[in-house]
Amino acid sequence: MKKLLTLVLAIALCLTCVSAFAAESWKVTCPWAPSGVAAMVSQKAAALSTTYSDDIVLVADAIKGDAATVNSWVAQYNAGDPELVFAGEGLFGITSILDPDRMNFTYDDFAYVENLYSSVFVMSAGANLGVEDLDGLKAYMEAGNEISVACNGATGSEAFLAAALFGTMGYGEQMTIIPYESAGEAAQAVSRGETDLAVSHQSQILEAYNQGGVKVICAFDGEPIAQGPFAGVEGVGAKGYPYFRNRCFIFAKAGTDAAKIEELKKLYDDILADEEMVTWLHDDMLLEVDPMTEDDVKAHIENVKNIVNEYYELVAE
Amino acid sequence: MLQYIGPALQNLFRIENFLWLNLGVFIGSVFAAIPGLTVILCIILFLPFTYQMTAIPGMMFLLGIYCAGGYGGSVSAILINTPGTPHAAATMLDGYPMNKQGRTKAALKIALYASTFGGIFSALMLLFLAPQVAKLAAMLGTAEYFLVCLFGLTIIAGISGDSMLKGIIAACLGLLISCVGSDPMTSRARLNFGMDRMYLGLDLAICLIGLFALSQVLTKAEGKEERMILDTSSLKDGGEITREEKKRMVRPMFVSSLIGTIIGIIPGTGASMASWFSYDRARAMSKHKEEFGHGSVEGIAAAESANNAVTGATLIPLLTLGIPGDGCVAIMLSALMINGLNPGLSLFTTQGDIMYAIMIGLIFVNLFMFLQGRFLTNLFAKVVSVPQEILTPIIVMFCFAGAYSVNKSYFDVGVALAFCAIAWVLRKIDFPAVPILLGLVLGRMTETNFRRALQLSKGSPRIFFSSPFCFIFIGLTVLVVASVLWSRFKDRRKATDAKQ
Repeated sequence: MKKLLTLVLAIALCLTCVSAFAAESWKVTCPWAPSGVAAMVSQKAAALSTTYSDDIVLVADAIKGDAATVNSWVAQYNAGDPELVFAGEGLFGITSILDPDRMNFTYDDFAYVENLYSSVFVMSAGANLGVEDLDGLKAYMEAGNEISVACNGATGSEAFLAAALFGTMGYGEQMTIIPYESAGEAAQAVSRGETDLAVSHQSQILEAYNQGGVKVICAFDGEPIAQGPFAGVEGVGAKGYPYFRNRCFIFAKAGTDAAKIEELKKLYDDILADEEMVTWLHDDMLLEVDPMTEDDVKAHIENVKNIVNEYYELVAE
Repeated sequence: MLQYIGPALQNLFRIENFLWLNLGVFIGSVFAAIPGLTVILCIILFLPFTYQMTAIPGMMFLLGIYCAGGYGGSVSAILINTPGTPHAAATMLDGYPMNKQGRTKAALKIALYASTFGGIFSALMLLFLAPQVAKLAAMLGTAEYFLVCLFGLTIIAGISGDSMLKGIIAACLGLLISCVGSDPMTSRARLNFGMDRMYLGLDLAICLIGLFALSQVLTKAEGKEERMILDTSSLKDGGEITREEKKRMVRPMFVSSLIGTIIGIIPGTGASMASWFSYDRARAMSKHKEEFGHGSVEGIAAAESANNAVTGATLIPLLTLGIPGDGCVAIMLSALMINGLNPGLSLFTTQGDIMYAIMIGLIFVNLFMFLQGRFLTNLFAKVVSVPQEILTPIIVMFCFAGAYSVNKSYFDVGVALAFCAIAWVLRKIDFPAVPILLGLVLGRMTETNFRRALQLSKGSPRIFFSSPFCFIFIGLTVLVVASVLWSRFKDRRKATDAKQ
């Protein structure tokens, strides 16, 4: 009996080793909080990688640290290493202008693979503010009112979107950005009336909205929101205000074999087309599947940089 | 609520759930008992396993780790004077002295009883009062948060040892260190000396490893006259707790569970603050104040029940408002969301059977933690029988591994060593290290809320007097400061009388 058990265990061990070595493991480093949206989507994508590839296994990892984590990643790995990392407009579009000394890398250090998702930020107002939409907001500002906007962090994408909106309206001086430690805190702040407005991902304001504490007045996109609980909310782009979406780009180290990059891109495209994944991203995370070419990525970064350069003063103050 | 209980029990009472629950409790206990290996790290490591599970077994597994982590941290605090997790630091103040008195098992038992009591107390609060309590907690704004932190800083008086001045200086050092990183209001780097790794600030777990674990090893190494063999006679204690001691445990356990629950509900505060608050309250309310810091039963019971009472309470804002109360719970949020459950009050009606299964499951997590703890207490106690020549290098190894694993960075190992050096110097000049920890825990939170409140009020201090909650916290702070000054005055007068 003992011999039989040993044999079974040995075979199981061999099979595990063989299957592990047959596929190449690619570690995907997320440089943001392990509980954040990007880390969550990355984990879900990694879990699906074996369904769509016999050759590549994605292993999700999250090391909070933003630029510092990407600095280490760039310094540590070489072209061809089975390592991927996330970066978005925060690093390439904001930190590169506000705090370039923190970045020991440039876009040229990376080889673009795919965009993991797109998220449309929304602006919500406290239920008692009496502002329902962009026109209402403009009228409120025209009346000479000052306004406070709760954002996750002092110089994040949310703060720049708010600055761009009010700056373009011509009321930048009447606006104060109030930074919070998380998007959840910012949502609660507007909900209890501590601030007048908040900018956040849709999923982060959903509960405050469901409880009637806030009204979602606009989306930072070109078109109205197409689906989900905020369907129909107008996009600021339609009225000529600047905007950008939040995106999460997947990169390999620059110089990695183009065929391998193509293989990874195909794998991610397959995963992001998976029915379960699409439903989860749309319905639960309120995100969009949004494959992008490298030219799109560069245009996105350039757009963010333009906004940051133009409204830097409003956020920095 | 009642209509969901039946289906919830049906969902919960499955062998699979109880297997994962127990596995989580075991892993959490072991992880938290090892200095440097934090509960949050453990949850992050095991989170991917839950992505293959449905919501209930996944949450049972993670809650098992989370709750047992609350208890497990006390094991090393009692056995080797090094808290396994930051929130067990207050337990160390009395747990280790009790161990030194030869009552190791008794101290471990008290920690287990108190942890279980605190855990079940907050689980019941979660089950019966979650939506109401969450709405109340959501009313606390920035100004109130600052005043809670200010009240927290009054604890310094209770943990300063013989010299309050030295305690205040040490706490100020902790507050200064908490400023390292990025300015919370502008995101600009400050006090980071050009090192980009410092931008996110210094991780509490890493500082703790240096301040307590490594410095303890250094102190042991300095004791040349002592042979590095531990007196194992302490293990022969039967772990008896007298009836009188049990009686004395009841009040601090109850009060601390209440404090832990209240603090746990307030997002961003956490178990460390709860255990220090409760420890201080227990000391103030005790008839045996002189025993605190020297192996007080009440001290251990207060700290442990409070930090475990936080576990259920942090789930209240998470499940009802979608706001994670602390880092561990934030990770659990992703386990829920990956299963398509977006926490919020609406989920209590749309997925009531799952939500109530999780909440009832938390009670069972604490019960199984108690059962495993009863067995593991003996197992853990045997750790101290390992000769120090073997145990100490193992502790050092785990300390370095733990410091590295937080951010997978060797830089953090250097930070731990720097804090070890700071603690060693402070010990030489007879400064307490514990107030530094308090400064680190409360520093950033205090500063952020103070500055944000003033930003909201455009610089007017009136914001700190803008709600009834503000007045409650101001009142409590004034009361504590006045009582400390009064007792110091009395002590001084006694000393003068004695001289005359």
